[in-house]
Amino acid sequence: MKTLAIVFRKEIREILRDRRTLFAIGLAALATPTVLVVISQVSTKTATQTYTVGYTGEIPTGLGILLSATALKLEPVADPATAAKQQVDIGIAFEPAQIDEWYDPTRQSAQIADTRLQTVLGQYDAAKAAAALQQRGIDPGLLNPLPVKLHPLSSPVKAAGNAFLSFFLPYILITMVLTGGLSAALDASAGERERKTLESLLLTPTPRSRILLGKILAVSVISLVSAIAAIGSMLLALSQIPLLGTHVSLSPLAAIVMVWLAILLAGTFSSVTLALGTLAKNFRQGQAYSTPLYFITIFPASIILFIPDFNPNLAYYLIPILNAVLVLRDAIVRNSVAWPALGITSASLIATGLICWFAALRLFTRETLLIKS
Amino acid sequence: MSPAAVKVDRLEKTLGKNKVLRGISLEAGSGEIFGLLGPNGAGKTTTLRIICTLLAPDAGSVQVLGFDTRTEPEDVRRRVGVVTADIGVYPRLSARENITYFAELSGVLDGELDRRVDAVLDRLDMVSFANQRAESLSSGQKQKVAIARAIVHDPAVLMFDEPTSNLDVLASREIRNFMVESRDRGKCVIFSTHVLHDAERLCDRVTILHEGCVVATGSTAEVRGAHRDLEDAFLELVEK
Repeated sequence: MKTLAIVFRKEIREILRDRRTLFAIGLAALATPTVLVVISQVSTKTATQTYTVGYTGEIPTGLGILLSATALKLEPVADPATAAKQQVDIGIAFEPAQIDEWYDPTRQSAQIADTRLQTVLGQYDAAKAAAALQQRGIDPGLLNPLPVKLHPLSSPVKAAGNAFLSFFLPYILITMVLTGGLSAALDASAGERERKTLESLLLTPTPRSRILLGKILAVSVISLVSAIAAIGSMLLALSQIPLLGTHVSLSPLAAIVMVWLAILLAGTFSSVTLALGTLAKNFRQGQAYSTPLYFITIFPASIILFIPDFNPNLAYYLIPILNAVLVLRDAIVRNSVAWPALGITSASLIATGLICWFAALRLFTRETLLIKS
Repeated sequence: MSPAAVKVDRLEKTLGKNKVLRGISLEAGSGEIFGLLGPNGAGKTTTLRIICTLLAPDAGSVQVLGFDTRTEPEDVRRRVGVVTADIGVYPRLSARENITYFAELSGVLDGELDRRVDAVLDRLDMVSFANQRAESLSSGQKQKVAIARAIVHDPAVLMFDEPTSNLDVLASREIRNFMVESRDRGKCVIFSTHVLHDAERLCDRVTILHEGCVVATGSTAEVRGAHRDLEDAFLELVEK
């Protein structure tokens, strides 16, 4: 244990004096709040922005006021179809018995303006129909024979916030655990060969398994610090910046699950990156070997984005990284832990970490490591 | 010669498709500088790497102070210090931190640590730059760090593999002086080089390797024989 601590201490000391690693941690802490500020500003701007509706014909009575109140600005044009291509966001022609609409679905502004227009027209139609029925002495409630009264079991605004966190947080966690320790891992493996210190290190009587374990522990700690710095700053930013109309926060349970998963992921990623670094002759080659890891790790986090309601059976929790994403998502969205899923996830990540550690050890003890140096 | 500190017996080693060592045997004693000579590719570095347990032999055996390199590698490593031409040091650690790290890994006890490191810094005249980061040191100073980390655990066997090949005249002379000093302290010094002029001046006994075989062995005077110098003797042996 003593030699393990010696290697760990030396690696941490070296890492903390390495500008690349400190820069990566600092960037991680600053990047997430910056991204959140941008998202918040863009979403606020989108919600309050006025879109232009080019029109021909006579505006039905009262509709102009409704459209204006929904931040849709009416602008007369010669040809609404042509204008909708560039000049305005959507084009409409008020005909006596109908409204023709032209919009380009590839333009986001056109999509938003179209949604707003449909909502306004729906309300306008309902109001007109209700007024006509009332004039004839008929109860307007006839138009809505089965009114729905909503009883949300939790705050819809908070749910929207949790849905955002359930994608964003696993993504940040996985990315930062990987990238935060990558430079340190490559420096501790490929860097030893590049600096030509490896031979001297292996000449000491300390068993190679302990040298490697000391390095893995040091890289894991740096990965964790990096991930916690990024997530801490993100949560701090979320407590200050309103997002989706609320201040999004992480429940204590989700925070505990996140830290546990971060520890497991850090151990696994450290072993993988050290193994890849051991294969490489220098830092640059190590970076090239590690590049595919970004895609491999980001892909599972993206599944939640594309299939938000992805609820697989327990077998899926055997797949490393995907399992961490799913467990963390459940903890955030449902504020509960499915213990069998967490158990399988933990066992899977620990097994993956051990396999990677064993592979790294095999690579670290082979003769070609020295011969090719 | 004193009893063999290092005993190599019929050593064979193949690296890839290349048979590097073809059954070499040699013995180096305590209190002598033993020259391992030969052209590049003769097998000198591979022999040293097997002696210090970095590589395993395909056949044959090596004993260091009675410990077998195959079965007792950690005991061997505790008793061996190696200085190579590659003076790789940890650039973000100071000279003192570099040496302390290797002392700790080599099993120097906590109570002894500072005293040993200070002694080695003093012996190699490194006190003035001991707390400077290694990245700011000159090649000669880095070489001193490399020597210091190899001897801080006070090994009985010291191996130098082309130690002066990247150094200037002054730094090279310091290395040579250090080898002589170590011999005088009773250490077994193995000096691997292709610079025969250095070997002739320093070595008590030499073994010449060529294409993985021993072509001559004995005291420096014996191997030189009737030739003008060791280089002439070496050329004749290699050209045979």
